[in-house]
Amino acid sequence: MKGTTAFQKFHRNVIVPYSYLIPALVFLLVIVFFPVIISLILSFYSFTGYETNIFNKFVGIKNFKYLFNQRYFWIALKNTLYFVGSMATLQVVIALFLAIIIFLGNFKYSSLIRMIIFAPAVLAPVSVSLAWRKILEQDGVLNQILNISYPWLAKVHLAIWCVVSVNIWQWVGYNLIIFYAGLQGINKELLEAADIDGANWTQKIFRIVIPFLTPIIVLNIILNVIGSFRAFDIIYVLTRGGPAHNSEVFTTLMYYYSFAANGPSKMGVGAAIAFVMFSAIIVFGVVRIRLLQEKRG
Amino acid sequence: MKSARNVSPKRKAKVLSYGIKRQRDFGFYIFSRVVIAVTIIAILFPILYIFSISLRTKETLYQDTLVLIPKAITYQNYVDAFNYAETHLDVSFPEMFRNSIIATAISITIAIVVSAFASFSFSNFKFRGKEIVYTLMIASFAIPVQASLIPLFFIERDLGVMNTYLAIILPYIGFTIPIATLILRSFFEGIPVEIKEAARVDGVSNFQLFLKIMLPLSKPAIATCVILLFLETWNEFLFALIFLQNPRIQTLPVAIAKIAGGKYLVPLGIYGASIMITVIPILIIFVIFQKWFISGVTLGAIKG
Repeated sequence: MKGTTAFQKFHRNVIVPYSYLIPALVFLLVIVFFPVIISLILSFYSFTGYETNIFNKFVGIKNFKYLFNQRYFWIALKNTLYFVGSMATLQVVIALFLAIIIFLGNFKYSSLIRMIIFAPAVLAPVSVSLAWRKILEQDGVLNQILNISYPWLAKVHLAIWCVVSVNIWQWVGYNLIIFYAGLQGINKELLEAADIDGANWTQKIFRIVIPFLTPIIVLNIILNVIGSFRAFDIIYVLTRGGPAHNSEVFTTLMYYYSFAANGPSKMGVGAAIAFVMFSAIIVFGVVRIRLLQEKRG
Repeated sequence: MKSARNVSPKRKAKVLSYGIKRQRDFGFYIFSRVVIAVTIIAILFPILYIFSISLRTKETLYQDTLVLIPKAITYQNYVDAFNYAETHLDVSFPEMFRNSIIATAISITIAIVVSAFASFSFSNFKFRGKEIVYTLMIASFAIPVQASLIPLFFIERDLGVMNTYLAIILPYIGFTIPIATLILRSFFEGIPVEIKEAARVDGVSNFQLFLKIMLPLSKPAIATCVILLFLETWNEFLFALIFLQNPRIQTLPVAIAKIAGGKYLVPLGIYGASIMITVIPILIIFVIFQKWFISGVTLGAIKG
């Protein structure tokens, strides 16, 4: 543009756009990015949370050494993989299955059915876990139904799977309505044509519906991985990481080391777990971008 | 319709609009009904069971628990739960609701206003670093809150905001800005350019364009944001657990979670009633605004 000074250009191209951006950026920098970076650095320090200067004691990789020597770290790693893995596979499969059944089933009360299945997703995970805690107790209603007396939440290898089941109960409807929204975009003439050609319902599902939904399957998997990786309340309320730390995941283990009243107050170790979690999500992000590029390339 | 297939009208009539044909896929018809019935029961039973417990008298608490409609209905457990909260959880239910409402309302309002400004900038200007800033912003959606938790604890301690509403409002704003910006930006960019150009011709300033034209047009997107952010913040637990040690200002999830603690054995009726006190208001809001909830969550997910 003629007649505009360098300052006017700077004003138009930098000052004006960034002045609208500044409030959001300040919040993000101060509350998300800056603390994340500090957290990565803090994983090389030893501190308990009561010092005024937490950068007093540099310990190198000692926190990580300590952490990797803990049996509970490896249990938490395994449980996190079970938990996140189940959400990325089992829950997505169940939600997809239900969505297709509702879609192809011509239900009279289709929207009511979807609303009911989705309803648990609006509740606080704390309330949901409190309810299930009662139901799964040794003298709880589940055992009454099954006419047995089994301590579901107190079994070393079972507790994490109870958490997985309750989590699926709460969130399957969330995936379901996303799938259903995708299904509404499907070409109905294609399904009618398949009907007329005499295709049975398994053929329709596997040849037409699932290939059509592939991008939404990927979307649901990503959402579930991100969501379940950070899940804390459900495990905290349902099992407290127990019995004897056997249902601990990364988030609850980090809470135990850093903040729990009965914990060891080793905040440096907590920061080391946060470091591991952050790296895992970065790796996940990179893998996801690579897969996207491969698809395009 | 593909007339080349030579479908007789009679045969066509048997075909439902799409999906199953009653005659040939009778198996699927039965199968789908059974699966959905089982699912509905599995979803509803836990909620109805806790509701049923909360309405029982002490005498009938352990009788015929599987019959969800109790013989004698009492509201006593709800009265007891209110008293129990004050004496054992150190915070009453009205206080919990007040705390949750304040924290949620303030953080949602600020997060949406701030995100709207940012989205306006992204959708309306060309500037250096735009896509990098935006990508960073959206990428932070995937960062687990735990990755910032420990430093945030010390920042808040040194700022002296621990045990105030600000202690949770700040992280709620920071962690909900990405999703709100995502939704608002894509909505702003969908507003026809002609509208913006017409405004420019009339000599409207950027800020007036934003305030008088873009925002009023964006009501549906703002409603979507309100719903998504409400679900995030109303139900949030971890920040509230760590940053609100003073019982009097604890939000619903943190305060109510204490009934699971081993400190006291909570009577079953009170336990059930306490859960229902947190669940019933949300279910009522959900039923009233269900269309908004479902479209909001779908939109939020697909835009993400």
